[in-house]
Amino acid sequence: MLNVYSRHRSFALLICVVFAQVLLLAFQIKRDRDVPLIRYWAAELVTPIGRVGTWTSSKIRGVWTGYIDLHGARVENKQLQAEVGQLRLRNFELEAQAKESQRLQLLLDFRQAHPEAPMLAAQVIGASADPTSHTLFINRGEHDHIRRDMAVITPDGIVGKIVEVFSNDTAQVLLIDDKDSGVGALFADSRTHGVVKGTGDPLPIMDYVVNDEKVHPGEVILTSGEDRIFPKGLPIGVVKDASPASPFQIIHVQPAVHLDRIEDVLVLLTRQDVALKSAELPADPNAQIAAPAPASPASQSLGASPASKPAQPSAPAQEAR
Amino acid sequence: MASMLSAGLRSDSNIEVHKYYGGTVIITAFLALVLQAFLHKYGRWSELIDLPLLVTVYFGVSRRNTSTGLLLGAAIGILQDALSFDNPIGLYGIAKTLVGYVSSSIGGRIDTEHPLSRFGLVFLLFHFHQIVFAVTQRVLLNHSAPFFTLRLLLDSVITSAVGVALFALLDRLRRSA
Repeated sequence: MLNVYSRHRSFALLICVVFAQVLLLAFQIKRDRDVPLIRYWAAELVTPIGRVGTWTSSKIRGVWTGYIDLHGARVENKQLQAEVGQLRLRNFELEAQAKESQRLQLLLDFRQAHPEAPMLAAQVIGASADPTSHTLFINRGEHDHIRRDMAVITPDGIVGKIVEVFSNDTAQVLLIDDKDSGVGALFADSRTHGVVKGTGDPLPIMDYVVNDEKVHPGEVILTSGEDRIFPKGLPIGVVKDASPASPFQIIHVQPAVHLDRIEDVLVLLTRQDVALKSAELPADPNAQIAAPAPASPASQSLGASPASKPAQPSAPAQEAR
Repeated sequence: MASMLSAGLRSDSNIEVHKYYGGTVIITAFLALVLQAFLHKYGRWSELIDLPLLVTVYFGVSRRNTSTGLLLGAAIGILQDALSFDNPIGLYGIAKTLVGYVSSSIGGRIDTEHPLSRFGLVFLLFHFHQIVFAVTQRVLLNHSAPFFTLRLLLDSVITSAVGVALFALLDRLRRSA
């Protein structure tokens, strides 16, 4: 027993002495870049352990955060979803406000550009419940001195006229595409007069234009002022298409204003003529078909006594009212 | 060679531990190291003999104590490294530590008094020393040290022959019982 102990003791001593000398060598021997071997060994000894420790801790953390500790994530997810919903709603509100600001800015610019014509801005608050009746309700009424037959316009062109005024700050507007609507009109180029009448369809027609009259698609149509409602020279729209018929041509008119998406309008408080600038005339939707004349015809029509040539002066004027 | 060694095997009860006068081991080891370094000046023939190895083997088999044998081998090897030009300390140390341990272990099992057994023992331990030395160089220094060459065979034979004579000379330093 003692012999075995002695043999093991000497063997342990051998291991210690050899190990000590290996360490001694490791301190002296230098590998690449003069790094002592002992540093290599230390790094190779520690790095795998550290790597295993890092891997283990990251896995444990991943399991904990990804699978076990999901209560906080669920609550946080609900909070974030609610927050996203609120932010989305807020974003919609801001976008709507921005668009409204742009529209109001256009109205304001138009109003400031025409100080000679008193006008009142109004918001569309409703429309007719009858699909065959093309009318709107605006948030202006008697308290705002709104009266029947006042013209309702936008910077793009005419919209319609006031047909009913209510005491509770509400008025009803008859759109120009309503079948009961009629507006005294003339072509900006040829100065030929007619009446733009609603048909109940989205496209009104310009009536009382004889077949001999050359009408081109894209031709601008302005108010003639003969109806005593709309001042002379306001854009109504452009010719969509024209076809001969008996006794007058059938001319479909593309309104200058998108009548189905109006939100803000201007009510002209008097019949004072509005001198439109050329830039305010309606854009030609069929420009590639029929380009407008280079000289501004509208400026000619806005003259004090244009050389107009009414086709049917008496009949349309009376009907337009 | 193996049959010769096995013929000299004996039981533990017959083990004879030799004693030496004080300082004999230290002085002999010191002289071996000095001579190894001194003779090197007079020609490369001194490289044929490994005197520190012979001293390590001799006192290992004579004292027959593995602890003192390995410590003596470690001390001689480290000093040999220290006296060398560019050997890192511990290269010879490890080899001679193992030689000291093995020689003292073998010394208690076989007859190491006969000149032939001494020749064979030194021959084997010389190559064992070379193998350990080469392994250490390959593993730690990344050098391609040889395990066996004809030159090493010649060295081992000469060292073994010198060892037989040296051992007989060192036997005279034993303290009589």
